[in-house]
Amino acid sequence: MKTILVVDDSHIMRNIVKNIFSDLKIPCQFLEAANGKIALQLLENNKVNLIFLDWNMPEMDGMEFLKRAKSMPDYKDTPVVMVTSEAARYSVIEALQNGAADYIVKPINEKVFKEKISELDF
Amino acid sequence: MEQYIQPFIKVCESVFQEFCRTEVNAGRVYFVSKDEYVTKWDISGIIGLSGEATGAVAISMKDTTAFKVTKTLTGKEHKHIDSDVTDAVGEIINIIAGNVKKEFEEELRIKISLPTIVKGVAHTIVWPTEKTRIICIPFSIFSDQELCLSIAVAPANK
Repeated sequence: MKTILVVDDSHIMRNIVKNIFSDLKIPCQFLEAANGKIALQLLENNKVNLIFLDWNMPEMDGMEFLKRAKSMPDYKDTPVVMVTSEAARYSVIEALQNGAADYIVKPINEKVFKEKISELDF
Repeated sequence: MEQYIQPFIKVCESVFQEFCRTEVNAGRVYFVSKDEYVTKWDISGIIGLSGEATGAVAISMKDTTAFKVTKTLTGKEHKHIDSDVTDAVGEIINIIAGNVKKEFEEELRIKISLPTIVKGVAHTIVWPTEKTRIICIPFSIFSDQELCLSIAVAPANK
């Protein structure tokens, strides 16, 4: 059973991500966090296989979380997929340079989302 | 100011189509001064802009419109401005602002704030820019309802 962490300050967006992912019929359990700070605590207390990460969040944003997660030995190879409204190319480049495995711009296109996930190894 | 209008219309129509599966159609754009800005709306979602352009963008609507918009995302009926409704309005303006950044990426590097929600009958928005006029773009939605995208933006060096 895979453990998927969904990090977004919008609970509606967390539900949307979970619902689309559930369509893939991959046996999994979900963990949720409303910001990077809570997400880091969840990483310390669980073994997470895949992370969906928003960028703009209170307390700790997605970029700060990404950098910290990638510096943790247990998570340096765990795929982190950005799911964010930050659509500018320079934002995509910044996320990929900091270790994001892929980048999905909101609003989520379900077909693109599923294609990207099917290409990930987690 | 006019150069900012079309990208906002394009992005707003696209976000409602793709995120809410709902069509919105832009009406006649008008301008008001900061002091003249009075809303007739029940809820607004506001995002501050900083970096090479400063200002704010807000989406405003009646509560009945917000309930229907939220239902497109949650599948549930809403009769009060609850956490789902504020979440939906905040996320919509967040997605609009994030996508508008892409429209201006060649000219301006803009940072967006977290969304703020203001609610209450005929509430007021205090706009951060001093001189800029506010662009108001009305949109029709759900055939007989409307919402408004308001924008106050200016290059940071002016």
